[in-house]
Amino acid sequence: MAAPGEAARDGLGAAEQDPPPAGPGAEEAAGAGGAGGAEAGEAGAGGEARAEAADGEGRSAGAEAADGEEPGLQPCAARRARLELKERKEKKQKVDEDEIQKMQILVSSFSEEQLNRYEMYRRSAFPKAAIKRLIQSITGTSVSQNVVIAMSGISKVFVGEVVEEALDVCEKWGELPPLQPKHMREAVRRLKSRGQIPNSKYKKIIFH
Amino acid sequence: MQKCYLTGQNKYTQIKDRKDSFEEDAEDAGGGLDGGQGKRKMRQQPLPSAVRCMMYGFGDDQNPYTESVDILEDLVIEFITEMTHKAMSIGRQGRVQVEDIVFLIRKDPRKFARVKDLLTMNEELKRARKAFDEANYGS
Repeated sequence: MAAPGEAARDGLGAAEQDPPPAGPGAEEAAGAGGAGGAEAGEAGAGGEARAEAADGEGRSAGAEAADGEEPGLQPCAARRARLELKERKEKKQKVDEDEIQKMQILVSSFSEEQLNRYEMYRRSAFPKAAIKRLIQSITGTSVSQNVVIAMSGISKVFVGEVVEEALDVCEKWGELPPLQPKHMREAVRRLKSRGQIPNSKYKKIIFH
Repeated sequence: MQKCYLTGQNKYTQIKDRKDSFEEDAEDAGGGLDGGQGKRKMRQQPLPSAVRCMMYGFGDDQNPYTESVDILEDLVIEFITEMTHKAMSIGRQGRVQVEDIVFLIRKDPRKFARVKDLLTMNEELKRARKAFDEANYGS
């Protein structure tokens, strides 16, 4: 199992192609374990439902919302809910595998320049130390690692949104890349009016 | 492409215009592939090279303008600052937690999906690493 170890060293901003094949495998194991556990629960729940039928009816309306554990539901409804959950998980896995295959076909047909750009897109990431330092200098307390991971991921998506909008602006004005500051500023102005850039400097008056 | 009306040179600078470019810098703060920075560092932040690589990855030229990179870097810092302030004011005050970030992002589908993917993958990697280590100790 050397692959997951190697992928781990790549860092999470990268998320290369290796984790996805391991992903469905890990998910399958987890799904089988979950189904086995739920079956044991259902055998116990069947006995319980026969003992207190009225109570089970009252609780089933509320418990129907939670797919996972159903103590007190009628046995057939519990079985149906569990089957639906398993079906949905299988369908999602198949969709994931299809998507992975399509991605592989697409990437194998890239030109040299496109491959370069794709590699940059996957591999570029913000340095975790710098982000952590920045957040800690704002809060004054230490933050957990998950926060740093989430924040760097969101920042990368934010950069992508701005760059894409700026490329749209550039194309609309009939100019060529590289992007100039005026494109970036127009892109920021558009995103701000759409509300995708957080701004807590002034309160918005709703009904003026 | 604008030219400065006084000197007639290009108004914006790309990295390839500098004489001392394409030099592998020894310092690597762990961010992206270093595209080669000039010897003089105008700011003390290790963010710029990562932003530069990101801009190329998202569709810009291979050598984006330094001014555009600076603008984007300022934007990112402001974005992180705003998010942190907002996260500190909701949920548990004075602390930033993952749930607060997820709550702030819920309206934006791209960012929400990205955060969910990242955290799920982190969990999987941790699990895989633990299993790998246990296998090592067992054998």
